[in-house]
Amino acid sequence: MHPIDLAVVVAYVALITFVGIRFAQRVKTAKDFFLAGRSLTWWVIGLSIIGTNVDTNGYIGASGNAYSIGIAQANFEWIGAIPAMIIAALIFIPLYWRAGVYSIPEYLGLRYNQAVRVVAAGIVVTVSVFAMGVAMWALAITLQTFIGWPIWLGILVSGTVVGLYSVAGGLGAVAVTDSIQVCIMFLCGLIIVGIGISDAGGSASFVAKLTAENPTHLQAYLPSDHESYPWHGVILGLGLVLSPAYWVGGQAILQRTLGAKTQWDASAGMMFAAVAKTFVPVLIVFPGLLALVMMAEIEYPDMALPWVIKNVLPVGVSGLMFVAIIAALQSSIDSSINSTALIITRDIRHVLMKNHNPESDLKIGRILTLALLLSAMCIAPYIGNLGGIFNFLQSLLSLFQGPMLALLLLGAMTKRATGTAGIITLVSGVLLAGILSWVVELNMLYVAFFTFCYAVPALWIISGFTKPHSDDHLRNLTYSPWANSNANKPSAV
Amino acid sequence: MELPVIWANYISIGLFLALGVGVWSIPKSAVVPEEYAGETWRDLRWWATGLILFQIALYTFFR
Repeated sequence: MHPIDLAVVVAYVALITFVGIRFAQRVKTAKDFFLAGRSLTWWVIGLSIIGTNVDTNGYIGASGNAYSIGIAQANFEWIGAIPAMIIAALIFIPLYWRAGVYSIPEYLGLRYNQAVRVVAAGIVVTVSVFAMGVAMWALAITLQTFIGWPIWLGILVSGTVVGLYSVAGGLGAVAVTDSIQVCIMFLCGLIIVGIGISDAGGSASFVAKLTAENPTHLQAYLPSDHESYPWHGVILGLGLVLSPAYWVGGQAILQRTLGAKTQWDASAGMMFAAVAKTFVPVLIVFPGLLALVMMAEIEYPDMALPWVIKNVLPVGVSGLMFVAIIAALQSSIDSSINSTALIITRDIRHVLMKNHNPESDLKIGRILTLALLLSAMCIAPYIGNLGGIFNFLQSLLSLFQGPMLALLLLGAMTKRATGTAGIITLVSGVLLAGILSWVVELNMLYVAFFTFCYAVPALWIISGFTKPHSDDHLRNLTYSPWANSNANKPSAV
Repeated sequence: MELPVIWANYISIGLFLALGVGVWSIPKSAVVPEEYAGETWRDLRWWATGLILFQIALYTFFR
C-alpha cells in the first residue's frame, strides 16, 4: 500500500475512534446507550440506516454480481427496498414509536404475547451472532487482500476499533460514525463514476462499450428461467416479502429510528434513507459495470471492485476507497452488536428473569456488547473453513421472513390477530419454510413468498378461534389513521 | 404461457403507482404533526411521491 493511502487509512481510524469516544461521555443510562437518549435527528438516522444496510459482502458481492448480470443487481436497491422503506416510514415506524418500545420483538410481545417476543428475539440473536462472525471474517479478508495483514491481525485491529466506540458510546456513537462512513462511501462512489466515465470516453461511449458484448446488462430484469434471479421471483419474493420483512422488522435497521428525537424525525429518517438508497447502485453496481467496460482480466466476478480500486483509482483515492470498504463493514458490525445486545438485555433477560433489576441494564448492555464482539472475533477465523456459510445465512433468514412479515402486517393493520395464533403461525411457518428449503429445495425467494402466503391465512383463521386482546389494549398497537382517534396523530415532541 | 421480460418493468411501474395511491390515502394529520402543519416540506407524502416518480423513471429507462 502506498504511504499516502496508508496515511488516509490511519486518519480515518483516528477520526472514527475520536468521535466514538466523545459520545461515550453522554451515556448515563440504558436509554442513552440503546436509543441514544432519543436524540437522533432525521438525517443522521437516514445515513446511519444506509451504513447499517450496506456491508462489504454487499459491496464486493454486489459489484461482482453486477459484473455478471448487469443493472439487474440494482433491483435489490430499488424494487427490493424503496416500497418497503416508504411503508416503514409512513406506517410501521409511527406505530413502533407510539408504542414506546425499544425493539421489534418488544412490539410483538405487546401486540401478541411474551412467547412470540422470546421466539422472535431468539431468531434475531442466533442469526446475528453468525452474521457478525461472517462480517468480521470478510473485513479480515479485505485487510489481507489489500495490505497483506494476516487474518488474526485484521480481526484483532478491526474488532478493537469497533469495540472502542460501540462499547463506550452505544447507539449514539454508532449512528454518528455510520453517518461519517456513509459520506466517505458516497464520495468514493462519485469519484469512481467520474474517473470511470472519463476513462471510457464519456457516458455514450461507456454505454456503447458495455452493451456491445453484454446486450442485457442495462435491462432491469432477467428472464423467468434465470437460475438465481428470475424476474417473477424478484418481484414476488424480494419485492413483496423479503424486502418488507427486512425494512419493517429488521432490528438493526429500525433501532436508530426508535432513537429519534421526535416521531417525525424517525419517519423522515427512513424516508431520507430511501432517497440515499436509490443512489446506492452508484457505489456497488457501477464498479462491476466499469470493470466490464475496461475489459478487466479477473479470475472471478467478486474481483471486479478490487480490480477497479487497484487499476482505476489514483493514489490517495484508492486509500479512501479502501477506507469506504472498511467503513461499510464496521457500520454493519457495530449496529448488529448494539441491537443484539439490546434484544438479549430486554427481550430475553427481562422476560425470562422475573427478578431482573432494570437499573443494571446499562452495565449488562455494555458487558453483552463486549461479549458479542469477542464472540464474533472468535468465530470469525473459522468462518472460512465452513464454505458457503454466507449463503447458508441468507437461506436461514428466508426461513423466518415470511411468517415474521405476516405477524407484523396483520398485527399492525388489524385487531383480529391473537397471541395464540401468532405463536402457532410463527413456529409452523418456520417449519414449513424448512421443508420447502431443504426437502423441496426451492429457491429462497420462493420459500419466502410461499411461507408468507401460508402465514397470512393461517394467522387470520386461527385468530378466529382464539381470544383477542381488548380494543383498549390494541389502541396504540394497531394502525388506523382513518379512525376518529388521537391515537394515530404524530407528535413533534 | 410465459410473459416477456418487459412485463416485469410494467408490473413494477404498476406497483409503484399503486403505492402512490396508497400514500395519498393516508390523511395529512397522520403524517405531519400539528406543530409543523404550515411547513409543506415536512409532509412526507411529498417525499414518497418524489421517490416513486424517480423509481418509475428508472424502470422506464432500464428495460
